Amino acid sequence: MSQANGEAIATKRRGLSLDGWAVLLAFALAALVRAGVFKHIPW
Amino acid sequence: MADAVVLPQVQPVRPAVQFFKLIPGMLLLTAVGYAGKLLEQNVGKYAKSHHWTFPNIEYVLWAILIGLAISNTVGIPQIFRAGVATYEFWLKAGIVLLGSRFLLGDVLKLGGASLALVAIEIALAIGFMTLLGRAFGLKPKLTSLLAVGSAVCGVSAIIATKGAIEADDEDSSFAIAAILALGALSLFTFPLIGHALHLTDHAYGVWSGLAVDNTAEAAAAGALYSDAAGKLAVLTKTTRNALIGFVVLAYALYWASRGQAQAIGNKASFLWQKFPKFVLGFLLISLLATFAVFNKDQIGALANLSRWAFLLTFAGVGLRTNFRELAKQGLKPFAVGAIGEVLIAVFTLGLVYGAQRVFHW
Repeated sequence: MSQANGEAIATKRRGLSLDGWAVLLAFALAALVRAGVFKHIPW
Repeated sequence: MADAVVLPQVQPVRPAVQFFKLIPGMLLLTAVGYAGKLLEQNVGKYAKSHHWTFPNIEYVLWAILIGLAISNTVGIPQIFRAGVATYEFWLKAGIVLLGSRFLLGDVLKLGGASLALVAIEIALAIGFMTLLGRAFGLKPKLTSLLAVGSAVCGVSAIIATKGAIEADDEDSSFAIAAILALGALSLFTFPLIGHALHLTDHAYGVWSGLAVDNTAEAAAAGALYSDAAGKLAVLTKTTRNALIGFVVLAYALYWASRGQAQAIGNKASFLWQKFPKFVLGFLLISLLATFAVFNKDQIGALANLSRWAFLLTFAGVGLRTNFRELAKQGLKPFAVGAIGEVLIAVFTLGLVYGAQRVFHW
């Protein structure tokens, strides 16, 4: 395995996946709504 | 001693820099999505005030059409591309937030019914695509990629399978192009067929979740019919997505047994690695809603956040679809995909009609 590949895999392992970030953002927004920071979201 | 060769050092890109690179494209997604919303609100009013007959076009279709117009005329300048690609991220965040609109009991009930239909759909799709791929003389791994793409969840499934079965880049780009082109077509054909057949929101939502391949297109095809159909399309599609690991694992084992892919060590770890984590997020938010962690107003706010996230997704669907690029990928995979998709659409429609009688949708 080349060094570049190794680094890419290591970086991938260290970070959250796209799914992980999406879930994190959704839960952060849900927590803010629950805490009353966002009282009304217009549509 | 010979002089050491000085190689240019590759500087790791800082997360902050990466984030700033996404901003122009995310602003473009927002602008296109919001323009779609404004057009929905104002075109109908304008036509009415001028006594014109004009169909009510939903923001979903406007956003996709504006995106398609930009992508297929002036194109997407490089500066916007990274941000436009975040539409998948917004889709997943939107699906998790949508979980607040379902009580867990409903998810299990609807998901259970969907699961049976999804299992049949996956078997049919893999069978059809494999037979068609052989009949058209496609390369076996390209056939596998098309089968997985049409059976489970479009582009994500193709990318996951490509690595697992060690398919060529060329094969995966053929398969992705075919699935994307057919997904774009389904956005315009599914709602028309649904209306022509007078399908209920429930039946149409389940059908589009079963038969449209990419999650973004399935959500858009559902939302183009009605809000309720959009919800069910996402739920059914999420059930399909949840099975991605099993299908990819089966293909990986098949190709490994033929000595054309690496053997799989720990199967449980492989399944977890391929499992879409946003499905868990969706179930968890639904669980919180079931236990009344959110009040009615908060559920309304989360539902609207989900709509905003989907708005960016729909803009991205149009912006990333370039018909000239897709046409360059060749006719054979597209023909196999198209014939297979039509068969899958017809058979899943039959399944939905059958399920409608059993479950009284």
